[in-house]
Amino acid sequence: MATILQAKNMEKYYGNKNNLTKALDGISFSVEAGEFLGVMGASGSGKTTLLNCVSTIDSLTAGQILIDDRDITTMNQKMLARFRREKLGFIFQDFNLLDTLTAFENIALALTILKKPTKTIESRVSEVAAVLGITDVLDKYPYQMSGGQRQRVASARAIVTQPALILADEPTGALDSKSARALLESFQNLVRTRGATILMVTHDAFSASYCHRIIFIRDGRLFQELVRGSESRREFFDKIIEVVSLLGGDGNDLR
Amino acid sequence: MTSAELALRNVRKSFRDYAVYFMTLTFGICIFYVFNSIGSQQAVMDLSSSQASTMKMLDRLIGDFSLFISVILCFLIIYANGFLVKRRKKEFGLYLTLGMERRQVSRILVLETVFMGLISLAAGLLLGIALSQGMSLVTAALLGVKIDAFRFVFAFGTVAKTIVYFSAAFALTLFFNVLKVGRQQLIDLIYAGRRNETNRAPRPFLAALIFTLAVFCLAASYFMLLGDLLGGASLNIIIALGAAGTFLFFFALSGFLMQAARRKSLYLKNLNMFVLRQLSSKINTAYVSMTIVCLMLFISICTLSSGLGIARAVAAELRFSAPYDATLVMSATGESGEDYVNHAPVDILAAARDKGVDVSSFAGVSKAAVFYDAEGLVPPFTGRNGEKTLLYLLSLSDYNAALAMQGLPLLSLGANEYAVNFGATNADWSKILTQYADTGGSLTLGGRELRTNAALLRHHVLEVRTHLNLDMILVVPDDTVSGRQAKKEVLFINYPQSGLEYEQLCLGALSGFTVTTADGAELSGSVETRIQVNDYAANSTATIAYLAIYMGVVFLVASATVLAIGQLSEASDNCHRYSLLHKLGADDKMLNGALFTQILIYFGAPLLLALVHSVAGISAAGKIMTRIGGMNILGTSILAALFIILIYGGYFLATYWSGRNMIKTAYDSRRR
Repeated sequence: MATILQAKNMEKYYGNKNNLTKALDGISFSVEAGEFLGVMGASGSGKTTLLNCVSTIDSLTAGQILIDDRDITTMNQKMLARFRREKLGFIFQDFNLLDTLTAFENIALALTILKKPTKTIESRVSEVAAVLGITDVLDKYPYQMSGGQRQRVASARAIVTQPALILADEPTGALDSKSARALLESFQNLVRTRGATILMVTHDAFSASYCHRIIFIRDGRLFQELVRGSESRREFFDKIIEVVSLLGGDGNDLR
Repeated sequence: MTSAELALRNVRKSFRDYAVYFMTLTFGICIFYVFNSIGSQQAVMDLSSSQASTMKMLDRLIGDFSLFISVILCFLIIYANGFLVKRRKKEFGLYLTLGMERRQVSRILVLETVFMGLISLAAGLLLGIALSQGMSLVTAALLGVKIDAFRFVFAFGTVAKTIVYFSAAFALTLFFNVLKVGRQQLIDLIYAGRRNETNRAPRPFLAALIFTLAVFCLAASYFMLLGDLLGGASLNIIIALGAAGTFLFFFALSGFLMQAARRKSLYLKNLNMFVLRQLSSKINTAYVSMTIVCLMLFISICTLSSGLGIARAVAAELRFSAPYDATLVMSATGESGEDYVNHAPVDILAAARDKGVDVSSFAGVSKAAVFYDAEGLVPPFTGRNGEKTLLYLLSLSDYNAALAMQGLPLLSLGANEYAVNFGATNADWSKILTQYADTGGSLTLGGRELRTNAALLRHHVLEVRTHLNLDMILVVPDDTVSGRQAKKEVLFINYPQSGLEYEQLCLGALSGFTVTTADGAELSGSVETRIQVNDYAANSTATIAYLAIYMGVVFLVASATVLAIGQLSEASDNCHRYSLLHKLGADDKMLNGALFTQILIYFGAPLLLALVHSVAGISAAGKIMTRIGGMNILGTSILAALFIILIYGGYFLATYWSGRNMIKTAYDSRRR
């Protein structure tokens, strides 16, 4: 399979000489096409920084990130914007839907930014809406929807452009367990049926158990890697819990 | 932390939100001070007595106007402050949930308003005092006075007045806004700003209907204003119709905007959808504020262009009516007070000599002329607006003497011809006179028939006068006037050279000059000089121009501020939205384009309609002006346009730039 994302020796430092924080301290990893990768770690381990760097919102101090064989660390602002709209899809913890737009418009927005022909927009939106089960809320505004519906609308916005890589930052963080399960199942579904590639940051072992593979981060370094392989989700979950307890930090009191 | 500390911290912390409010206040206070301190500016100028009295009048007029202006500024402050409070409802809600009492929250708000008031009062006064120094120069230029030496003007009384007026405005603001917050439910405070406004925009069919109604209202008010259809409608009705039409226009427009939302090809393109939704989410506030802004802009454009136009027309007219250095007009007043009573003609120069007045001491050239009674010779002329002319007969040699003194080509007449001289030159009168001349205008005088024709029409001014001259002078051959009664005698005077000493000699010798005629009529004289006329012209130009600029600028600033506040108060919502778009991959060009369009619609729509209104308004003003000699609309309109570009355009750009900066900081803050 093709490699979608290749991160080499990522370093991100904050602060000055006297008070240096190494948020990322030489992390390397890669994501294959069609893979559902999880990134786990305690608060302050650097997982959000990692996501911000991969998503081109933040820049690295040193190292290289290749997405679809293109080095994003050398791009200028304009190229980055273009790269984001063409190659990446975002799902945020707090949904980040525009409250002035209906669900349909929020999803269509990703396509209009891409300047897609207007004729195709409607059919593409209703297609992904059907996949995510939000067809009947398309005319509603965000404040008229439940949290789960909002997050699925945000997911629809992320996948409607058929990006090379979908980046999800704690997507279940603001959801109840039922909505979280429904969302994660639809992620699985997307990977299976549409060949989507997802990079999901989470500190929740249950959410992580839906992934194919998980990398664990501590103090800005790669701590361990787990591959689910042919194990059941239950078995995988137990393994995750073990690693989380090894990780320390607030991961301990998760479950 | 005490309330005062919290309030002070809030002001410092949310200075960005306060910036517009602060700007509005400072601007208002500054303008208020500058114009109200005009009276004190005369200290630095060397003024003649007429100029000094003009300044006094101007000072009083501006004082009266200021009451009106301060009401507008007061509304503006309440509006700006209201936005500020709206922005911060959530914060107040938080204070309440943390267990603070309503009274404490109100106290924080009061203290904040007081802090802001004090800061902006100080800033506005300082700026005003600085600007008024420059204003002295402008005043001096308008009055045509030299400034002896630069002196710093500090108008203590005006400072006190400004403080009193604005303190009252702050008190009112406090009253309204503290009341508003105090009455809100906690839930509404906490969830403030989370919802879109309920859309009250009309549906397409209704919108079309309302639009038709709006156009009808506006058309009706325009036609009434221009007096072509329903002539004589009262101004109140016109204003009411115009205002209603404007409101309905923007209301219908909001409906059309929603209609445009259905057109996929336009809607689903670039960030159009986003921009439209930005507008529609605030649609109710939008059409109300657009209406207010449009009307204020209209007032501003009209006062700036016609006000300056009127001032310049008055000045031009007056300079025009000073063809000599001075004239002395002798006339008799009847027993019941009527002017220009018929009497036996007198030679004024001879009469002056008899009275021991040495005309040659101040006059290089002087000529006396007799204006004879012409009653019943020709039908009375009436202007379009009912104004009547005064008819005189003047002998050809007297007329030519006057022309010679003005350096104009002389007139020659056949034995059976007469000429018509009329000072005003506007189109209406030209038409009336040409029509008359084309009929031949036959009259019988001295036992023979005289006729005129269009080639014998003249438009010369024969006297020095400060008001419009509607004298209709029939210039006839010398031998036809003998034996007629005189209406007035006029002495034309040119000084040997220009200079105040001749002016003083002339006024000293001729004021209070009286003559008794052969038939016992008492003639009294009045002297008008070119210097007086020019003074008067400069003074009235200055007075009108000042008031026009004062009003115009206040309304312009007010309208631009309403818009700027509206836009910037949404800034933090916008920051959030735009940085999301940025994350989704919209580049700077798309984002700035969307922001620009959004602000352009807000600023542009009211301006466009206001311009249409103004065309009607200014033409109406022009019509009135043609009665006293027409005005140059083009020149002053360009001046008004400059003002608008400078102030309104400045506000537009400032709003766009600060909006753009806020957005950019919002999405760049992560990258560092």
